[in-house]
Amino acid sequence: MTESLIWVNEDGINPEHKMFRDYPDAPRVYIFDVSYLQQWRISHHRLQFIYESLLEIPHISIYKGETVAVLDSLLQEYNVREVITTATPNHIITGWQDEILKQADLVTYPQIYPVQDSSSPRRFARYWRQSDRFWLTP
Amino acid sequence: MQQLKTDFTSREDMAAYIQQEFPFLESPGGLSPYLGGRKAGLARLEEFKIEQYGKERNFLNGEVSRLSPYISRGCLELEEVRQWALQHPLSKSVESFVSELAWRGFFHLVYQEEGTGILADLEPPKVSLGKHQITLPEDIARGETGLPSMDTLIGMLRETGYLHNHARMYLASYVVHFRKVSWRSGADWMYALLIDGDFASNHLSWQWVASTFSNKPYIFNRENLERYGGAVLPGDPRQGDPFDASYEALAERLFGGEYRPEPRRSSGNYQ
Repeated sequence: MTESLIWVNEDGINPEHKMFRDYPDAPRVYIFDVSYLQQWRISHHRLQFIYESLLEIPHISIYKGETVAVLDSLLQEYNVREVITTATPNHIITGWQDEILKQADLVTYPQIYPVQDSSSPRRFARYWRQSDRFWLTP
Repeated sequence: MQQLKTDFTSREDMAAYIQQEFPFLESPGGLSPYLGGRKAGLARLEEFKIEQYGKERNFLNGEVSRLSPYISRGCLELEEVRQWALQHPLSKSVESFVSELAWRGFFHLVYQEEGTGILADLEPPKVSLGKHQITLPEDIARGETGLPSMDTLIGMLRETGYLHNHARMYLASYVVHFRKVSWRSGADWMYALLIDGDFASNHLSWQWVASTFSNKPYIFNRENLERYGGAVLPGDPRQGDPFDASYEALAERLFGGEYRPEPRRSSGNYQ
């Protein structure tokens, strides 16, 4: 029985991502959010690039609509209570994630950076002085 | 909720379907040369001559990775690109490339900390920006400014969904400082058109140019444009050329003495 749903977002379209190996039987979905596309006047080229990238993910189902409403419907359709996704700082996507959390558990795979310190020093030169050795070490 | 097709016979077939399903999207016609997907990203990584990057990266026709669409959309992970770079013998060039990856990490840190705060001035501007117009002039949006250099860059952006980083800075500086348009209007416009559109890298770079996330405004002059873009860009009419001046004269004209550049300022590097 399927217990989870993988929700791919536009900042994490990687067919080799660990989440696909960890949840091999989970349905994989992507939603083109019409309100977002219209509000931010996203170009055809960006949408096509995303679409082409998605098609490398086996068995992906792609939807058009309002992200949260579509996910709600899919949670019911698949009868699952857990959504698997990837982290992004994108405030629009994190807003959707917050909404989903009201309906389901959310497992978010973090982005990987060589430096774990999460405070920003506000100037890159300062940041680089503090962290270059981490970035330059394999 | 509508499920979309996943079987296409060609990129053109997909483009036509997208146009049918999303008729409101801005489309210049034609296809972007940037093919989406991890496979295409890995192929680009294979082609990238990282040893040449350090010396050439500021030139519009120089060797740059053009990986940002693949990294921004997650097809390639930043960490795997960093590890790939560090497999090469450490050199100024490798270090320079890794530091550009670090810029991305830095911007994300700021975005995580500030959230939607990055959509407004993060700091007081170092030059007056308060009277800038808040809508993007149509001639800029259409690439019909009358300046062949800027129109070429706008054309590239619209037709391919990608611009070299230095070209993004030229355009941002032109929009904000030469045309007196609010950085937010320009940033939203570019975010919409870029395949690699990312609020952190895009909007914070515009703020960097504007001086609301940096210590000074970023401007360029004719000499800089010719040096780094001359091989790619057409020349502009000499009569009334807005860029043809020393940095000191430009700063005086654009900012009325609010900002005085250091003498001999040359490259368009972030600092």
